[in-house]
Amino acid sequence: MSSISPQSRPALAPGARIQTDRVAGQPVLLSPEGIQELNFSAHAIIARCDGKQTVEEITVALAEEYEAPLDELREDVITCLAELHEKKLIVVS
Amino acid sequence: MNFRPYALLAEVTYRCPLHCPYCSNPAMYPGGNELTTSEWQRVIDEAAALGVLQAGFSGGEPLLRPDLAQLIAHARQAGLYTNLITSSLGLDAKRAHELREAGLDSVQISFQAEEAVLADAIAGARAHEKKIAAARIAREAGLPLSTNVVLHRRNIDRLREIVAFAASLGAIRLELANVQYYGWAFLNRAQLLPTREQVHTARQIAEEEKARCREQMDIFYVLPDYYEDRPKPCMNGWGRRYLTVNAVGDTLPCPTASSIPGLRFENVRARSLAWIWSESESFQQFRGEDWMREPCRGCPERTRDFGGCRCQATLLTGDPANTDPVCGLSRIVP
Ligand SMILES: C[S@@+](CC[C@H](N)C(=O)[O-])C[C@H]1O[C@@H](n2cnc3c(N)ncnc32)[C@H](O)[C@@H]1O
Ligand code: SF4
Ligand code: SF4
Repeated sequence: MSSISPQSRPALAPGARIQTDRVAGQPVLLSPEGIQELNFSAHAIIARCDGKQTVEEITVALAEEYEAPLDELREDVITCLAELHEKKLIVVS
Repeated sequence: MNFRPYALLAEVTYRCPLHCPYCSNPAMYPGGNELTTSEWQRVIDEAAALGVLQAGFSGGEPLLRPDLAQLIAHARQAGLYTNLITSSLGLDAKRAHELREAGLDSVQISFQAEEAVLADAIAGARAHEKKIAAARIAREAGLPLSTNVVLHRRNIDRLREIVAFAASLGAIRLELANVQYYGWAFLNRAQLLPTREQVHTARQIAEEEKARCREQMDIFYVLPDYYEDRPKPCMNGWGRRYLTVNAVGDTLPCPTASSIPGLRFENVRARSLAWIWSESESFQQFRGEDWMREPCRGCPERTRDFGGCRCQATLLTGDPANTDPVCGLSRIVP
């Protein structure tokens, strides 16, 4: 039972912002809670969380860009977003 | 091992219009001149170069600095996430917009209680209604709002009311911080310490409320000092993640480190932040594990709690290198 479905429209939580950690050269998600390191795929996903695109649309875009199988990817995207949602780093509508 | 700082706490002034008896600021703070705008800008640049990603602007009351928006804009340009930690006194619509324009990422307003009579009695000033107005102004300016309430004997029984109050302000986050006994709070601890029963009930209620409000508001409950069996992983370890620069430029591994006698703090007017972070005695003193004594020295939990809080060890045992006496494995009973 995930809080995220293919129809959800995820957006960054208010107060959260993506930034580059210049020491590690890695993207991080900053919020009042602190610092969340983003790996390559998490960054690719969250960079598309604009509150407009659905999870399905994000998945399709990523599948095209990275030539990945859609079904596997959908699962990964949902898992990743559910984790960020749990940490209050994204909101969904 | 090489550590880098992740967060800078900029205590831009020690001046404050309120007189909270629980205030953790040093009861005797170092005199001298506050850092100027350009000195703070330099500190911010040096912090960013060291790898700092977040800057908290606190004090005293940071809104008393007329150059606050300028400093926040500077921090944003340096790539930092900016958080304002404030009583909110002095936050009008013009100021809120100015801060928002400067790029302020989030604001945390502290409240003393959920209703005016008690809150004003604790704050020592008529502040509560102004704070409510300021919280609304912050939200209208588009600033994500967090709230903070320090819990102690006089307000800890009102947790449910406090949670409802924070929700009514539209806060996305509520920090319920059991008072930590430093600075004024240590001096006033007899009047602040809750009973064991109060602490016990509060923890249960906090858990219930946290679950109940999940969707609307993130409740963060800071466990009380003195009532646990293990110490908090204070500062995530000395000199590992955090830097505090106080109003006059002294640089501390933790905001209350000035309570440790004999530690000499370096000043950003004389030294670079990089040198202070990596070379200074005060940052080296309790970094890593070499300083630890028994029972911490051989304890498997030392990588989790880092032996607890150095300030608490000082205040309660007289020696900062002792195991935090809150720990059940410590033989020193506070
Ligand atoms: C020292 S204040 C300075 C900023 C501002 N004057 C304010 O009160 O928000 C920073 C934060 O620490 C909290 N605080 C103060 N004394 C504390 C204590 N003894 N234990 C825990 N939190 C404390 C305040 O509620 C506030 O959220
Ligand atoms: S907690 Fe904040 S508002 Fe209260 S006395 Fe301390 S600095 Fe001032
Ligand atoms: S003995 Fe030291 S390291 Fe072990 S739990 Fe206690 S404080 Fe932590």
